[in-house]
Amino acid sequence: MTDRATGGNGRPLIRLENLTKRFPGQKQNAIDELSLAIPEGEIVILVGPSGSGKTTTLRMINRLIEPTSGRIFLEDEDVTKVNRDKLRRRMGYVIQQTGLFPHMTIADNIATVPRLLGWSRQKIRDRVHELIEMVGMDPEIYAQRYPKELSGGQSQRVGVARAMAADPPVILMDEPFSAIDPITRARLQNEFLQLQTKIRKTIVFVTHDIDEAIKMGDRIAILDEHSHIAQYDTPRTILAAPATAFVEAFIGAGSSLKRLNLTHVREVELVDFPTAHVSADRESVRETLLRSDKGSVLLLDDDRRPLRWVNAIDLEHAHIPLAEAGLPATPALQEQATLYDALNEMLTSLQGSSAVVGEDGVYRGVIEIETIVAAIRSMRADARQRYRGEEGEDPAGDAEQSELVS
Amino acid sequence: MRDFLDYLSFRRDHIIGLAIDHAQLVVYAVGIATVISVTIGVLVYRRERLAAIAIGVAGTLFTVPSLALFSLMIPIIGLGFRPALAALVVYSMLPILRNTIAGLRSVDPAVVESAQGMGMNRFRRLVRIELPLAWPVILTGIRVSTVLTVGIAAIAAYINGPGLGEDIFAGLSRIGTPTALHLILGGILGVVVLALLFDGMYLIAGKLTTSRGIR
Repeated sequence: MTDRATGGNGRPLIRLENLTKRFPGQKQNAIDELSLAIPEGEIVILVGPSGSGKTTTLRMINRLIEPTSGRIFLEDEDVTKVNRDKLRRRMGYVIQQTGLFPHMTIADNIATVPRLLGWSRQKIRDRVHELIEMVGMDPEIYAQRYPKELSGGQSQRVGVARAMAADPPVILMDEPFSAIDPITRARLQNEFLQLQTKIRKTIVFVTHDIDEAIKMGDRIAILDEHSHIAQYDTPRTILAAPATAFVEAFIGAGSSLKRLNLTHVREVELVDFPTAHVSADRESVRETLLRSDKGSVLLLDDDRRPLRWVNAIDLEHAHIPLAEAGLPATPALQEQATLYDALNEMLTSLQGSSAVVGEDGVYRGVIEIETIVAAIRSMRADARQRYRGEEGEDPAGDAEQSELVS
Repeated sequence: MRDFLDYLSFRRDHIIGLAIDHAQLVVYAVGIATVISVTIGVLVYRRERLAAIAIGVAGTLFTVPSLALFSLMIPIIGLGFRPALAALVVYSMLPILRNTIAGLRSVDPAVVESAQGMGMNRFRRLVRIELPLAWPVILTGIRVSTVLTVGIAAIAAYINGPGLGEDIFAGLSRIGTPTALHLILGGILGVVVLALLFDGMYLIAGKLTTSRGIR
């Protein structure tokens, strides 16, 4: 298992210094002396119960809410007093309700910031095209559509593309995936993580969902009331060693199960399953099945995408074409999915295994429930070790953490 | 009936001329009222108190009986086109002002926030985001206002204003004579046709000026 937090170079790109906000007419500070360093190229999650001030904190970074006191640094420049509109063009902003402009086409929506920055028409057109593709949509189909013609998931993809339009170093995201159904949400999360491995933006991400925080974050800042930082560390360390009783309560029960979110499918060994082409004849499929020690064969299409699971009994039913026999193998798991997603998938589909595909949809292997059980077992062993007082975590990592919080 | 049709064909050019004057008066009045009302609407829509005051004032002016308002204009501006125009502007403001405020307020706050978060300044947000999104509602206000003004403009003839009211008042002053009814009916018919024409034009204008994304 690799630690995603080591991906960036650790240099803080955004620093918040003693940031305080008191709203008019309130006795207490809504945000109280918050200091936080956000390393370049990492996803930092602000997570906390409602009322912890996480959204207020995020909105102070691009100064949609002006801090009462304290300072904000971006790339070592004090931006607390610079022109707000110019500052915001250096930070992408994605919100839960997407906030797409309904009267503009997808292309015009994405072109918003480049136009503000005065890019040439040709450059804008090329960039828009590139971005629509980058978020997994077809520019030919979608560039001239309007937001009302998109599904929730597509709208949020466009929201992300729009935030990245002028290639800002920072993207601020306020519960971007919260309003989307769970299946689409998991897919968008996976795609976003995949994208982040390429673009390496510095991302500040607000959520109330600890599972999402663990899955998406290189680092997580768990916020208590008034944005007091209860713990700021990698997901791994937070799960293994919650700093306070509040953090422990917030992570909630089943923290060992949550650790399944730390491991991605591509990091575990996949099982080689017998496969056959969907148009192969029944006899050869049966032979393939007999030669393996597995109970079923995975049928693939021309592009080697998984289609169906068939077992010996399904093969008996000669009147059903192979393309409709057995059980569906779709939707297949993506490599960026976590073991938690995989377990979820298996429990919903009532199958002990799930086909795994790469970014291109091509079959990579199969993950079995035994793999997940083994992962849980090793986590429990870790936990036992900690219980006995044997330090299981990398002490150097801890030292780095305390530096960042100060 | 036969007589009336004969009257219409005989006096066609005259009636059309009056209708054009009438339409001109309405277009000027609504045009001026739109500029004033949209400007006021933009200035007050985010301030609860000011918006209430603006709508209150426009509403009060709206309830003054039209004949009284036209009469009031005589000592101030005198007789003719200009006082008629001034009175009509006062009348047509309320629907436009109310719809401008309602339209701007109906814009999804998340849309405005994301525009702000992307670095659009106040003016650009208003011109590029809020007004285009509020436009269908504002246009409805202008349309209501126009149809209303077409009717009220007929009374402008009372203070020597131009338009189809001339025939109506001429008819009223010689009630009992054979042509009185024809004059009045001709004027009314002109007003109705003009109102329908304006309404149709707004329907087309609405289609042409509203983004496909919000239709």
